[in-house]
Amino acid sequence: MLSLLAFSAGAAPGDPRRAFFESHCVKCHSGDKPKGDWRIDELTPDFVDKGNRERWEKVQEQLASGEMPPKSKPRPPQKDVKTVTDWIGAQVAAFAGKEGRVVLRRLNRTEYENTVNDLLGTSAKLQDMLPMDTSANGFDNVGDALHTSSFLMDQYLIAAETALDQAITNRPKPPKFEQSHTGLKDAYQVKANSENTFRKGDDGRVVMFSSSGWVAANMFYIKERGRYRFRMSVSGIQSQGKPVTFSVKSGGGGMGGAKPHLVSYFDAPPDKPKVIEFEDQMEPRTSIVILPYDLPSAQTVSKVGSEKWDGPGLAVDWVDMDGPLNETWPPESHRRIFGDMKQDKSPIYNQSDRVEVVSAEPMKDADRILRKFARRAFRRSVTDADIKPYLDLVANRLAEPQSFEKAIRVGLGAILIAPEFLFLREVTGKLDDFALASRLSYFFWSSMPDEELLALAEQHKLSAPNVLHAQVERLIKHPKAAAFTTNFTGQWLGLRDLDFTMPNHIVYPHFDEMLRAAMQLETELFFRELIKDDLSITNFIASDFTMLNGRLAKHYGIEGVSGWEFHKTKLAPESHRGGVLTMASVLKVTANGTSTSPVVRGAWVLDRILGTPPRPPPANIPPLEPDIRGTTGIRQQLAKHRQLESCATCHVKIDPPGFALESFDVIGGYREHYVLDGRPANYRKGKAVDCADVLPDGRAFRNIDEFKQLLLADQDQFARALTTKLIIYSTGAPPERADSAKIEAIAAKAKANGYGFRTLIHEIVGSELFQTK
Amino acid sequence: MNTTPLTRRHFLRAAGVTLGLPFLECFAPRGRAAENAKPIRRMVCICTPLGIHTPFLNPEQTGKDYALTPYLEPIADFRNDFSVISGLSHPDVGSSHDSIFSFLTAAPHPEIRAGFRNSISLDQFAAEKIGGQTRVPSLSLSAEGFGLSWTRSGALVPPDLWPSNVFARLFLEGRPDEVEAQRRRLRNGKSILDTVSAQAKRMVPALGARDREKVDEYFTSVRELEQRMLTAQEWALKPKPHVNAKPLQNNNNSTDLIGKTRLMFDLTHLALQTDSTRLVNMLLLGTSGVPPVPGVTMGHHDLSHHGQDPAKLAQLKLVELGQMQLVHELLANLKKTKEQGESLLDRTMVFFSSNLGSAASHSTKNLPIIFAGGGFKHGRHLAFDPKDGPPLCNLYVTMLRRLGIEAEKFGSSTGTLTGLEV
Repeated sequence: MLSLLAFSAGAAPGDPRRAFFESHCVKCHSGDKPKGDWRIDELTPDFVDKGNRERWEKVQEQLASGEMPPKSKPRPPQKDVKTVTDWIGAQVAAFAGKEGRVVLRRLNRTEYENTVNDLLGTSAKLQDMLPMDTSANGFDNVGDALHTSSFLMDQYLIAAETALDQAITNRPKPPKFEQSHTGLKDAYQVKANSENTFRKGDDGRVVMFSSSGWVAANMFYIKERGRYRFRMSVSGIQSQGKPVTFSVKSGGGGMGGAKPHLVSYFDAPPDKPKVIEFEDQMEPRTSIVILPYDLPSAQTVSKVGSEKWDGPGLAVDWVDMDGPLNETWPPESHRRIFGDMKQDKSPIYNQSDRVEVVSAEPMKDADRILRKFARRAFRRSVTDADIKPYLDLVANRLAEPQSFEKAIRVGLGAILIAPEFLFLREVTGKLDDFALASRLSYFFWSSMPDEELLALAEQHKLSAPNVLHAQVERLIKHPKAAAFTTNFTGQWLGLRDLDFTMPNHIVYPHFDEMLRAAMQLETELFFRELIKDDLSITNFIASDFTMLNGRLAKHYGIEGVSGWEFHKTKLAPESHRGGVLTMASVLKVTANGTSTSPVVRGAWVLDRILGTPPRPPPANIPPLEPDIRGTTGIRQQLAKHRQLESCATCHVKIDPPGFALESFDVIGGYREHYVLDGRPANYRKGKAVDCADVLPDGRAFRNIDEFKQLLLADQDQFARALTTKLIIYSTGAPPERADSAKIEAIAAKAKANGYGFRTLIHEIVGSELFQTK
Repeated sequence: MNTTPLTRRHFLRAAGVTLGLPFLECFAPRGRAAENAKPIRRMVCICTPLGIHTPFLNPEQTGKDYALTPYLEPIADFRNDFSVISGLSHPDVGSSHDSIFSFLTAAPHPEIRAGFRNSISLDQFAAEKIGGQTRVPSLSLSAEGFGLSWTRSGALVPPDLWPSNVFARLFLEGRPDEVEAQRRRLRNGKSILDTVSAQAKRMVPALGARDREKVDEYFTSVRELEQRMLTAQEWALKPKPHVNAKPLQNNNNSTDLIGKTRLMFDLTHLALQTDSTRLVNMLLLGTSGVPPVPGVTMGHHDLSHHGQDPAKLAQLKLVELGQMQLVHELLANLKKTKEQGESLLDRTMVFFSSNLGSAASHSTKNLPIIFAGGGFKHGRHLAFDPKDGPPLCNLYVTMLRRLGIEAEKFGSSTGTLTGLEV
């Protein structure tokens, strides 16, 4: 059997590599019952085969880390190990050079929705029609993990149809747009409510004094789907010079009892009315709902009566509604496809006034329509050969016969599930300008290139460094760059999990929807602030400012900020805040809603901040079973851990950052004591929090503030970690082992510029890793 | 009296529920003789994602003469129709909520997110073999955003989140124009797929090996969907079975674990008795919200992290007893529905379990398992050593064999589960 080693083709007899495997590996890892169910004798020198390549990389990893051969066996000389690991590395690198580091990647469902909507000029909600994407290396846009299935293809067909239905209109121009100027006095709750919580003025002004959900004001009942614009004149009264905050939700009501979504919170300034304005995409049979925040219950106000009530209130003078906001008819999305083509009557069962686009020269029109559409859908210039299959498809639909519009829809639908649309295609080596345009737009917008990018690519101008620099500046300042902030922080810092747990409402009664919304915004605004002013990335670890609104400031115990609006706020040293580690959002996603675990938070810091995720615990070790009745605290339990050598190797690294963060509860409130037996957090004090610990290198810290300073001592490690995450996110593939010098180089260039975040982003875009497949 | 002649539709209506006659006896889609000779085998897999508190579930005694536990009380009258199985787990699935991804697949280490790749789930594996015999190859229901079914390449099979949609798909005929529109959709869909698969082929020569794998996957997906559309076209020509049940309304209360579960159980019963599918799996709700169960004031997820707090355990018990009562309803419905003189329960394996053995610590060892029906000799507590028990996949292989599939291995299996006999 030994002589039949499959890998002998890669290592001829007498080759030292072969001798190495034969003397150190094969004895255990071969045959019917190999150790660890792992056979090395089945490996072949074929590095193109993914499974085989990954097994080789595993061998490399095990040898390099000293994990194998096991401690009980003789250790091979270090130089022999190096010969073998270098050989594997070289094979992998040779393969990567031929294939490119980045594997052909499919649009994930976020990118798909954005792309379809940008392509068609719609705002269809398509994500939820598609199955969840799988992630790799911490991001759900990594090509390797993005698979295709027949189920997905089926959903793509349906999603495309849904989007085209929204883009193309089959209705004659609606008789009139819905417009309305009204007061809150006409809202049902205000008219019908018997509780005395509204103060009504003769001029139509209504003051709302209660935050009870059932006295919220429901306004308007939309009949047509579309985008609507609202304007309201509001002020806070009796509010001691402070703004009165209120929420606007939309999409509630209707027959299905759909849950409304939050449009936003707003501040009504004290005493002087201000006109606020917002837009929302609305479905038929839904309303908007207005409710003041943090005012007393309806019963409390009602007992006194709204006339005598002297607490703060939200005064609403009038509300304007305008929509659906179609500048033209047919709407822009329709004209983008068909231009001004004529529509004729085409009635169906329940719609006698239905119209369809008609054509006198169907194939000529089809050619024009599909050519224009395919260029943008494929994100590159298209040839006759590119569009021929789709034209043929339209032609044979017309022959069936189907109507012109139906046939065109089939052609467009096919383009929307074509491989050239669904996959970001890149050729090996340096990216061409089209592929570069897509990398840029998917990096910053999670969507397709716009006309300017596409035109620059067509003119072969995009890769010129000055043009590229200017485009990055443009893209990152564009409102669509919100996708970068949300999708990157959503995954790097885990903010997508903010709703994963609901904190126990008995222990944390002060956790509310506004706090949850504010947590996320703090982190996102902070992220944008670092980009905007090119501030140092070390601010992610420790900063002397953060982005606060009134609700969050109250949560953090910081004075002087009120209302919903966020302000860049200077932090006092004793605030214990600054940097992402001590943001409520991060502290919430690293807890389970009930208790905190130094192991979970510590592992999070190692993975997300330091870029050195710990290995998972060995399979035969049961997880810590929390027992809140017992007297043994988490520190005693973990102390036991560290006495065992097998646990200690990892836990000396995991536990310290975790203990530093024990000063924060499950929603990120600062604490010096644990809660007692599930009682409200402010009720009675439990055991004191002990957050001091020692790093593996012997440096000790007493609290989170000192811990952050220790982290700051090695800024380069954080810079490397963040650069790596950005490379994964922006290119859709992790760097290879051999790329560490390139990562190092990017980070070093940013360092020379004070580690400015926007500088780092420019360095990434300018790097070889970003600009090659 | 009804004087109109007895149409096929009438007969089906009566056969479906009222008379309890099996649907297939009167209108078998194909291979009727063979179907009659061999009883139809079915499988229902249920996962409750926040665990079941096993001290309230697993009896202390093993074998036949075990004393009932609090959670077995509600289903006590079916004592001889189910087995309690303890000590099983997936060997390579570590402690985490992410273990849900591997519940029916046993793919190793979902908890290490980097590099995790899922594999085919039990129901899809079975559907490949027996799915073509029914209108729907398999049903994947879920009260969460994702489900339990995964394809061979590790892609998620989108679950059905809305029982009303499934009801319409299985039992309601559309208007003639809707039926025509649906047929046109299938025709157009097939032409679209022809076109894009040709495009995928055109791309291949210029690609490297890894990119080619991706396009191959696309190509295979397109071909599979074409096949599915062909079958769907055939089924679209056949009238749908009629059931004597009101169309199901969705439950829009995002915390109503019990209400949503009942809907999925009712739907399962309807789908199985009309032979619309033979494979159902479902992921029950697992929210952090407070379920509307009398006496419960804390969120379900919070309760599952009870930390042995007696007050929390008491509330958790109320929630989980509610679930067990529904299991009783499902078993009772299957038991009283007859097919060829045999109860539907005897032909349907019901596997009720969780991806977590203890949600309090996210442990994935010693999973809670009630295994009912399917014509096995039940009535016992099969206790395996949680530290050294057989993999859960051994039970999966036993289930596949019972479906008539000659499976040698599934996931991490080492054989079939000893102790379960027909």
